Amino acid sequence: MTRRPPAGSVGAAVLVLAAAVQAAEEPVAIVGGTILTVGPQGTIEKGTVVIRDGKIAAVGKDVTAPAGATVIDAGGRYVIPGIIDAHSHTAIEAGVNECSDAVTAEVRIADVIDHRDVNIHRELAGGVTTVNVLHGSCNAIGGQNAVLKLRWGKGPDDLVFEQAPRGIKFALGENPKRSNFTVPGVRRYPATRMGVEAVIREAFEEARAYEREWDAYGAKAGSAAAERPLPPRRNLRLEALRDVLDGKVLVHAHCYRADEILMLIRLAEEFGFKIRTFQHVLEGYKVAAEIARHGAGASTFSDWWAYKLEAFDATPYNAAIMAAHGVTVSLNSDSDELARRLYWEAAKAVKYGGVSETEALKMVTLNPAWQLGIDGRVGSIEVGKDADIAIFSAHPFAPDARVEATLVDGVVYFDRARDGSAR
Amino acid sequence: MRRGRALSCLTVAILPALVEGGKEDLYAITGARVITVSGPTLEVGTVVMRDGVIEAVGRDVRPPVGARVLSGKGLTLSPGLIDGFGGVGLPAPPPRAAGGSGGAAPAPAPSPSNPLAPQTMALERLRPSEVVQARDSGVTTALVIDREGVLPGQSVLVNLGGDEAEAMVLKQPAALHLHMATLRRQYPSSLMGTEAYARQALYDAVRYRDAWAAYEKSPRGRRRPAYDAALAAWQAVLAGTQPLVVTGQRENDVRRALALADEFKIQVAVAGAPQAWRVAPILQARGVPLLVSVNFDPPRAASFGAEDVEKERREIEEAERNPAELHKAGVPFALVSAWAPDFLAGVRKAIEKGLPREAALRALTLDAARALGVADRTGSLEAGKIANVVAWSGDPLTAEAEVKMVFVDGRLYEPEERPEPSPSPSAGATP
Repeated sequence: MTRRPPAGSVGAAVLVLAAAVQAAEEPVAIVGGTILTVGPQGTIEKGTVVIRDGKIAAVGKDVTAPAGATVIDAGGRYVIPGIIDAHSHTAIEAGVNECSDAVTAEVRIADVIDHRDVNIHRELAGGVTTVNVLHGSCNAIGGQNAVLKLRWGKGPDDLVFEQAPRGIKFALGENPKRSNFTVPGVRRYPATRMGVEAVIREAFEEARAYEREWDAYGAKAGSAAAERPLPPRRNLRLEALRDVLDGKVLVHAHCYRADEILMLIRLAEEFGFKIRTFQHVLEGYKVAAEIARHGAGASTFSDWWAYKLEAFDATPYNAAIMAAHGVTVSLNSDSDELARRLYWEAAKAVKYGGVSETEALKMVTLNPAWQLGIDGRVGSIEVGKDADIAIFSAHPFAPDARVEATLVDGVVYFDRARDGSAR
Repeated sequence: MRRGRALSCLTVAILPALVEGGKEDLYAITGARVITVSGPTLEVGTVVMRDGVIEAVGRDVRPPVGARVLSGKGLTLSPGLIDGFGGVGLPAPPPRAAGGSGGAAPAPAPSPSNPLAPQTMALERLRPSEVVQARDSGVTTALVIDREGVLPGQSVLVNLGGDEAEAMVLKQPAALHLHMATLRRQYPSSLMGTEAYARQALYDAVRYRDAWAAYEKSPRGRRRPAYDAALAAWQAVLAGTQPLVVTGQRENDVRRALALADEFKIQVAVAGAPQAWRVAPILQARGVPLLVSVNFDPPRAASFGAEDVEKERREIEEAERNPAELHKAGVPFALVSAWAPDFLAGVRKAIEKGLPREAALRALTLDAARALGVADRTGSLEAGKIANVVAWSGDPLTAEAEVKMVFVDGRLYEPEERPEPSPSPSAGATP
């Protein structure tokens, strides 16, 4: 299965260097490739990326590799920012859903990371460096997600994208109302889309009351110890929802239909918080202007639909139409398998809707980075950003493109030649 | 059900009347090989037990006046084995109970209906008649907790002798237990839910403690806090006087247990842990009491597809190697049954997979006692410790070795007659 790389044998060069790069504090230089920065520097032919301490230190045509740098020869290759999957369920241990309640804001994906999930490596082999690992769509308000960097071989805590904002999963429509699937046990409220809205509304009413309770306590906290009341009960569920109200937690809302998208926008605006992303959002093209006005992003599939009733009224032009209305659009996988070829998912946005190649590439790099609140750190090849980089054998939209190496924080975590020969 | 009292072993065949008499228990076993575990093994030595306590162990110890002297010729003495985590003494699960071994005894209490009840006491379900099989295999001490549930309650540490549950107790309650398990059809139904449930329970327990502390400090003019049995059950853990035993099957359950320990400043022990060897350096650094299961193929959820079957097979093989790898890494641990149908068969499997037999014996005696916090009173053959002693026909933990006598709290029990009785003790002792 492992074809040797063609002439020039970049793979072999990477192989030799990988061990050194894994451990080194010394600089790394990726030399001679076509750099698709997805940033202000655009595309750079025969350029160099210099990495120091895991960060991008220099990018350009005339940049030279510093003395002592580990050199990765990318001649004839394409160098792009590491791909970011805004909707993943990779590396979750023992349950993607806590289905037993319609609101489970207290559960945290970060508690159940399986750092040995082989899909981490497989996704690295598809150029993916960051994934947004979400709770499932069982509940109107699900658990808190974890943004991970795919530092394959590191422990579970080391995978967590440090300083990534917290996030939470919402879900609308068939899944939370359980017409798409059933779970054994007592039939759970809600059973309709109206019910889903009511559940979310009630949860945030409770969260507001919780916040008021703590504010009232805080006002008395300065008084003498004897009169100081006992603090209110700490409620992990309401605490997470309070943090949503306070804008500290990004909301990623699974949805399909235009009506429920509008419902959630109205509800969020009523309570004074923002939806950060609508996920799947197959009818987003119908309400793209409203999504843009709210300031939400949209994370959709390229051309996957009709797998259930609420996913019928869909079009592969969805991403292009939403983008044309000013929505920050990403293309996601929701699948350990599809996650390995998100670059081709991005290519479809060029075919369907004529999105420019750069804008299409943004849909799997810079745009999902913004959606996760980490665009200051990743998503483009720019000086100062993390050295999360994928090296492709060809333009990532080419049908024969494949990933030769993937770096996270300047460390080679995937190397086709090295890893292939280790099989 | 008192099979152990009907002495038939040739070694002690002359003594039934005395033992049945139940006066002061004073025994001397002479001329036996004595594996003390805490010190050197005596090729020929004597062990004296008086009133439930080991009085003397040594080469030149002379049986005291009035002792019942038993010839240990051809026998090997070891400390009684400790099963540091399992269901010894709990009523058999319903399918087996329906098979009808209960006799005239009252029907076994059902499993606790509430799987989230830290106030449940395993002691209340303990039945002395259920410990015979374990004791006959050489186990004298067991930590007992229910297998089902997420918060199954509090375990009891018992010696496997005596006619009443209360008389068996070494430590009650011994520990509070959290199984990193999930429930069907109710919260928590996922591992992340179990984590969240445990954290919320601990935060609630902290608040309960503070509420009562405030009330006790100045009760006048305040409404008293409502009593809550579940929250009260956590208090010893919060106070640091009782460990939280976290049962987990996955490598990262060890990390999860430690994260709880750090967040709430509590002491944890880890039980089950078939992948513990992967985190040996963490266990080493933290000194976590470790109760390693030899139940290598526990019943598990139905698997889906070929990949899961393969994964399951690899997991079983890894679990079997786990004790040997932990030993190699220098991590002390207890070997525990974790409800295995045949505890010692599991131990022998671990030995077969590379765990030295002496290390296995240590993991079943002194290291188990350490993990359970009772090494000052049991776990080795030393003067002053509890007289839990097993006499084997050969090297302990070999398949050939038969248990000839079991002393629990200095009281002699003889295992049930085996199908093919050995013609003489010396023949039985030949390895």
